Amino acid sequence: MLVRELYSGAYELDSGDRKMLATRNMMPGMSVYGERLIIEEDIEYRLWDPGRSKLGSMLLKKFDIPIEQDSTVLYLGAASGTTVSHVSDMLMDGLVYALEFSPRTMRDLVQLCEIRPNIIPIFADANKPHSYAHIVEKADVIFQDIAQPNQAEIAAINSKYFLGEEGYLMLSIKSRSIDTIANPRKVFREELAKLQNDFSIEFEVLDRKELAPFHEDHLGVLAKRFMG
Amino acid sequence: MLQKQITPAQIYGGSDIKEKEFNTWFGTLLLDDEGRIDDCILFDNDPEMLAAVVVKLQKEMLPVPLRRPDIREAAIECGFVKLDEEYDILLRDVCIRAVKNQISRADADDSRIIQAVEALDDIDRNVNELGERLFEWYGRYFPELDMTGEELARFVSTYGSRTNVPSDHHLFEKASRSMGPELSFTDEEIIRAFANNICSLYDTRRYIENYINNSMGSVAPNLCNVAGASLGARLMSMAGSLEKLASFPSSTVQVIGANRALFKHLRTKAPSPKHGIIFNHPFIKNAPWWQRGKIARTLASRISLASRTDFYSGEPDTSIILCLEKKLEIIRKANPVPPKREPQKKSPVRGKSRKGKQGSRGKMKGGKN
Ligand SMILES: C[S@@+](CC[C@H](N)C(=O)[O-])C[C@H]1O[C@@H](n2cnc3c(N)ncnc32)[C@H](O)[C@@H]1O
Repeated sequence: MLVRELYSGAYELDSGDRKMLATRNMMPGMSVYGERLIIEEDIEYRLWDPGRSKLGSMLLKKFDIPIEQDSTVLYLGAASGTTVSHVSDMLMDGLVYALEFSPRTMRDLVQLCEIRPNIIPIFADANKPHSYAHIVEKADVIFQDIAQPNQAEIAAINSKYFLGEEGYLMLSIKSRSIDTIANPRKVFREELAKLQNDFSIEFEVLDRKELAPFHEDHLGVLAKRFMG
Repeated sequence: MLQKQITPAQIYGGSDIKEKEFNTWFGTLLLDDEGRIDDCILFDNDPEMLAAVVVKLQKEMLPVPLRRPDIREAAIECGFVKLDEEYDILLRDVCIRAVKNQISRADADDSRIIQAVEALDDIDRNVNELGERLFEWYGRYFPELDMTGEELARFVSTYGSRTNVPSDHHLFEKASRSMGPELSFTDEEIIRAFANNICSLYDTRRYIENYINNSMGSVAPNLCNVAGASLGARLMSMAGSLEKLASFPSSTVQVIGANRALFKHLRTKAPSPKHGIIFNHPFIKNAPWWQRGKIARTLASRISLASRTDFYSGEPDTSIILCLEKKLEIIRKANPVPPKREPQKKSPVRGKSRKGKQGSRGKMKGGKN
């Protein structure tokens, strides 16, 4: 099997007839959500299904992922930690703050945090950054996967509170949680305009791509904090 | 836990200093105008205590100064920790403890209330059955006694045989002239023990009710405020959990408890039922019939909002009930008198909805049993 590093910490495993996305398993022998483990030249990889992860699909869509080995990441909408576990793998020397507000899913997430040393769980509502500003430090990357009608606003206020001057925002916009019937393209355009104009923080949108076929009606956005 | 903490007002005697206070998980930072650290009051390096601080600060949601230092750098600058690794390890430990504490409160609590509500229903079923038995049994010996339920159980438990009813009791006359046969000593003891058990079930029932009333205020303060403790608890129990109740649209909340009618509606496209258990709420019960539908919709939407607020923030928010009262006032003012037209002569659409109402009222009885 051929192993190629796509980004820092994310790999493509090529078995000849199939290419698979994976991260290097920080906790060898442990599968987090039932994903397959593959050992290649003494290194264990965890397969990463892009259909189950917005970030995974953004990697395959060739976004220029700004997550480095030593980044500090604020992850909004961590759910039970499927994607967070891969971010954790990528951060050999960094830290991810994983925020989630549903108690049920938080229960699973805490279990993951207890196993992995670089995930910090926060049980809070992403609409209220001042309720966790006493915990979260300045972040290099904010990743947001929250299916809420005010996604753009949530991203903006969290960036204002926590995004460093050189920081990046990665956002997955789900059109149907904003407007169930409108044309997704139109919703995406409006959300991007909102993000760029409506809040007292400015972003420069570096890249945007729809996440189909991995996720229908989702737009991936990569933006950088704009310092005028 | 925070007695050690000195407020800046105590130090500087100023109040404008307030926004320059930055409360972090490891201590309070006092900032100058540029957001640099003037002074810091650090907590002890005790994970359990720090976790309590995290939970408390998260609830309080104090304003955060716009210009403030990065908290990791501040922790090192103030000497709370020496190294980045030390910061990581401690913060992770503290946050895991805090979250565990928060979630165990968030959803273990609604389940204990739901258990209590279901225990009430079990007691009701049993007490009815046992009460009927007592009525029949004791009735053989004192057929003139006109009592049922708790009153009967208490009577039998107190006096046993009717010959024990004292002469100053208002039933003395009836008891002494009863045409029922005398109770033998053995029979009296058995019947009395049986009645005692029924009485103690009634006591337990009251005990559980109190428990629900008391705990609803902390588990779901807003729901309790809007729906009342027992209706709120019942809604939670029928929905399955506070989380589920919070996830229902208010149109569903309105019909919770009207199950049979609801299933019929889903199966046969019969008109949707309008009478869920929220119709037991005094706002609806005490309202004239022509306002009830409107009040039910408003109440359901407030209950829905209240349960969401309880589930996601847990903070009491009095604006929910205030807004409900205002809306009810508007409904009352806008509909002071019953609509004039005869029900039969209504337009077809209206007639249909009326039929639905009746149908569901019939079903309600079934649903309640
Ligand atoms: C689409 S899922 C995220 C899936 C996850 N990113 C993954 O790939 O494994 C969205 C999550 O955001 C959470 N969420 C929604 N609104 C939120 C809010 N206001 N604050 C915090 N979390 C929220 C939901 O509970 C849900 O778990």
